[in-house]
Amino acid sequence: MKDLSIDFCGVKFMNPFMLSSSPVSNCAEMIARAFDAGWGGVAYKTLATQMTKIIHPSPRLNKYNNQACRMVGLQNVEQVSDRPLEHNLKDIKWLKKNYPKHIVVASIMGFSNKEWEILAKASEDAGADMLELNFSCPHMAIEGSGSKVGQAFDLVELFTETVKKAVSIPVMAKMTPNITDMNEPAMYAKNGGADAISAINTVAAITEIGLDDLIPKPNVFGKGAVSGYSGPCVKPIALRFMAEMAQNPELGLPISGIGGIETWIDVLEFLLLGASTIQVTTGIIHYGYRIVEDMMEGLSDYMEDKGFNSVSEIVGKALPNVHHTDEFDLSRQGVAEYDLDRCIGCGQCYIICQDAGGQALSWDAENRRPVMDEDRCLSCMACSFICPVEDMIHYKEMPKGWVRHDPEPMEI
Amino acid sequence: MGEGLTLTLATEEAARCLLCFDAPCSQACPAGTDPGSFIRKLHFRNVTGAIRTIKKNNPFGWTCGVVCPTARLCELACSRTAIDKPIQIGKIQRFLVEHGWAVGFSPIKKAEIKKDKVAIIGSGPAGLTCARELALNGYDVTVFEKKEKAGGNLRYGIPTFRLSEKGLDREIEEITSLGVTVKTETPIEGKDGLTKLKEEGFKAVFLSPGLWSPVRLGIEGSDLNGVLSATDFLGAMRTHEASDVENLVRDKVVAVIGGGSVAMDAAMGAKKLGAKDVYVLYRRSYTEMPAEEKEKIQALNDGIHFFILTQPVKYSGKGSLESIVCRRTRLGDPDDSGRRRPEEIQGSEFEMPFDVAIEALATEPDTGLRELADLTWDNKTITVSDANLQTSLPWVYAGGDIVRGPALVVEAVADGKKAAEAIAQHLEGKGE
Repeated sequence: MKDLSIDFCGVKFMNPFMLSSSPVSNCAEMIARAFDAGWGGVAYKTLATQMTKIIHPSPRLNKYNNQACRMVGLQNVEQVSDRPLEHNLKDIKWLKKNYPKHIVVASIMGFSNKEWEILAKASEDAGADMLELNFSCPHMAIEGSGSKVGQAFDLVELFTETVKKAVSIPVMAKMTPNITDMNEPAMYAKNGGADAISAINTVAAITEIGLDDLIPKPNVFGKGAVSGYSGPCVKPIALRFMAEMAQNPELGLPISGIGGIETWIDVLEFLLLGASTIQVTTGIIHYGYRIVEDMMEGLSDYMEDKGFNSVSEIVGKALPNVHHTDEFDLSRQGVAEYDLDRCIGCGQCYIICQDAGGQALSWDAENRRPVMDEDRCLSCMACSFICPVEDMIHYKEMPKGWVRHDPEPMEI
Repeated sequence: MGEGLTLTLATEEAARCLLCFDAPCSQACPAGTDPGSFIRKLHFRNVTGAIRTIKKNNPFGWTCGVVCPTARLCELACSRTAIDKPIQIGKIQRFLVEHGWAVGFSPIKKAEIKKDKVAIIGSGPAGLTCARELALNGYDVTVFEKKEKAGGNLRYGIPTFRLSEKGLDREIEEITSLGVTVKTETPIEGKDGLTKLKEEGFKAVFLSPGLWSPVRLGIEGSDLNGVLSATDFLGAMRTHEASDVENLVRDKVVAVIGGGSVAMDAAMGAKKLGAKDVYVLYRRSYTEMPAEEKEKIQALNDGIHFFILTQPVKYSGKGSLESIVCRRTRLGDPDDSGRRRPEEIQGSEFEMPFDVAIEALATEPDTGLRELADLTWDNKTITVSDANLQTSLPWVYAGGDIVRGPALVVEAVADGKKAAEAIAQHLEGKGE
């Protein structure tokens, strides 16, 4: 196994894999098992003072299935920790005593400037290695908190500043994706003194509506709500925010990547776009802590294969390849190329080329095979995405000067 | 019969479907079943639409989902086979019909009965399908059934462990609820029986009586107690004689002679009724056995012993069967069926003690059928026009096993549909 350790804001992580602040990091007993499974760190379930009573809605979660594919997304109305603050602090102490090499990041959420300060100090005193400021939960039942703060950029700066003054450990600000440009609040956090950014928190969403009672789910005794949505379906959106922040030279802060991570490949993609640690919840809600074993092994084997000696060498490695679309070389064109010897004749390519592509395919009914007219192919490559035969359809570049034939207009 | 799929499992199976263009599975069913459509509908959560597709096409959609040899029809055509294994089309079909029952969704609505009277003889899948189609078209249909209950071979030929009575009853009830009259224990017999129906006001007749006369081995000792046909054995299991056949085989050593689906049913049936040991005696080898592969495997797993290359030549016993003398065979050149011909090996005789012998060879039309009307026959089947199943009498149509010889349920369903259309055309063409 490769050395997977990485430095993040001066804190040494044994590997970049963290539990994010959520039900999966609710107490020390759980987190200890996660550490035993291989997770290198935790963003401990968000602490709040007990000045406001926290009660979780019931039920808390709802799934988003795509056909037979279970839980491609997950919606939640979970609140910050409802455990007494002193219990949580005790658990953090216990964790640091029993797992001194593992990193405990205390996630905190204040409901006033003073509360941010109290929580930050208490966490540092309990032994937390870092803080994560939860500016981003999209469904807090307490007014003016969570992502409401993350969307009011001056408050991001104010609370970050308050916390930074109160503690000496590194501080990371957690961003909401429910905005247009994440660089804006991230810059406010930086101006407030943040040492790192974590992103993304959940996306405000509605996953499902009861067809008989017409109530969105989770159906909390007759009421649904727009609330936080996570899981593999949000990963592409999270990667976009990674790239945009990591490519911003003014920001220049380390990033902890979050959003739909389940496999080592997901991890790698976050790293390649600039994250240097990653955090997971929904993947664990789906499969349990054990998934980290495959992340470690997969990442290590990839590094071995590609000759990387440390995780930090990977961080941001794909950023130079992320461009604006106006930089593309449009003089180079191509088509889809079929290896028809391997075709099984399902004809899905023909259907979608007719209805969504360039009508480049016709259908040889007798032999049940598509027949390609290259000059009509849009090179959308959609056929290759639905073809059930692995790697049967490839992209082929056409010679310079080749011109695609557009459809003729109808005769009137 | 085993448990069916759940909505989740059926949806997962449907997700494996490649949703082919011009789906090959939908071209592979004699009865015109369209899995390409109903699986796509299930995939897109149009579950009621999927049930409608099945039930509109085939009143025995559930039955066919259970008993149809899909492995050599729709599932053989499935494109997914080239990737791993075919979609379990039969299981999905069965599930969808059961789901409709569970949620109370019934896609077929009764039509007003206001057209001519049509008589149907025999209430098997061909007859009842024809009856439903005609009733939905407004015809006043009466089905005449010789036996105690409707269903024909589905009831008296297929044991309940392969096809549950509850499901069968439900599909038949769906048909009768559309205004079809079924007169059970009402055989149409005797000379000019069809002419009498005509005199009663029936304008057309569909003959679908099936094949109920068992072909017998005819070897010495066939009249001993304990020697019977599979037709009688399986039929009795469904009547008040059920306890008689149970007493006949319980704790006994039973031989089933033959290698088709009926032989497998009889063998497994005897085993389930408590037979001590059941042997299948078959004169060719395992691969020539006409039973479906899964039935053979199921029988083997049920503990049935297969004696292949074995030809019974004599039953012995005093009053009751005590043993069967058999001769070993070896396979020669292919015969007309394309299968290698069994040749008995002289001097290879051996004698095995048996208490019961069930002959599952073949079935033929009841002899009385030839009296009913002056129809043209081709040996053991009624001759009909391929195009419309019309017999040599223009107002008499025929389908199912009586026309095809032993055939599949889906083929019977196909005949029922075809005949219904032809009869309607015939009657409407006359302007009556």
